[in-house]
Amino acid sequence: MTDARTAEADPPWEGLRGHDLYAACMHAARMGNRAAMDRLVAELTPLVWQVARGNGLDRHTAEDVVQTVWLALFRHLDRLADPRALAAWLITTTRREAQRVGARPSPVPLTDELAESVPSTQPAPEAEAVRGDRDRRLWQAFARLPQRCQELLRLTVLAGRAEYRLVADALRMPHGSIGPTRGRCLKTMRDLLEAQGGSA
Amino acid sequence: MNEGLYPDDDTLLAELSRVVDEIDRPPAGLVERVQFALALEDLDVEVARWERADALAGVRSTGQGTITFTVSDLTVMINLTKVGLGHRIDGWLVPEGEYGVEVRVAGHESATTTADDGGRFVLDQVPRGTTQIVVYIDGDSCRRTVVTPAVVL
Repeated sequence: MTDARTAEADPPWEGLRGHDLYAACMHAARMGNRAAMDRLVAELTPLVWQVARGNGLDRHTAEDVVQTVWLALFRHLDRLADPRALAAWLITTTRREAQRVGARPSPVPLTDELAESVPSTQPAPEAEAVRGDRDRRLWQAFARLPQRCQELLRLTVLAGRAEYRLVADALRMPHGSIGPTRGRCLKTMRDLLEAQGGSA
Repeated sequence: MNEGLYPDDDTLLAELSRVVDEIDRPPAGLVERVQFALALEDLDVEVARWERADALAGVRSTGQGTITFTVSDLTVMINLTKVGLGHRIDGWLVPEGEYGVEVRVAGHESATTTADDGGRFVLDQVPRGTTQIVVYIDGDSCRRTVVTPAVVL
């Protein structure tokens, strides 16, 4: 993935991470540096995607919203002075855009998508089939959670990965309440898993 | 039984993390499509939304048929017909106007034309691939540029 860049001089954001990376890229992007824009897009598209999906958009609509949000960012880049506000801006704009295009909070499409995507990802010897079944139940329980929980858990999942530690800062919640809220979401998910358990 | 599979919240979160990543990671090529959509000379644009008819709901790469994009007061309809290795695009802008239309296809030269006074335009032999349509509106009071998201046609 870095191959295309090695031929050129290293860009000034090379080796930077988190807010430092965003600050360097946003600065260069304001000067019209396309490579800096591309780097931000590559770095933060998974975040925008998870917020779009966590707000009830199907995968196709989510893809359009991701593009719309990025175009909006670079149209208004000069209004966003503080790189620390970038992740929060992306999250807020994605939520607003998701509402604008009319997210439909239905668990059914998720289940349909699951039926399409799960069998194709892995060959299925016995052990894989069992795990596939367990994953399916987990996903179905997740898809039935309130949207607020789905979004919070998706962002938690991202925040667990090193490059996304700052996402936690971007959540517009009082810091002390994230833990308890997440705990309640996980409890609800366990109840949903429990409720499925009886049928099989 | 769930306690056995997911004894604590960390285990449950770790499993959820893996499943979300396997089932719902961003689509392949999304980053590249965003980057293509952004590779415009002037980024002062409005983004039109793809309106999906019920029959096409959830279908992204239609190959043929009619696609409608809208933004505030403008609607862009395009009808695709397969011709050889490419497409013929029949388009219609509402409200009508003699606006410039550019069809960008990744890895190819842009195709450009101007809509007639009825808002209609035709482009023959547009290559298939990641495509973005750009409409340049030169009104009496304002100039606007409307773009569609980049989609694979």
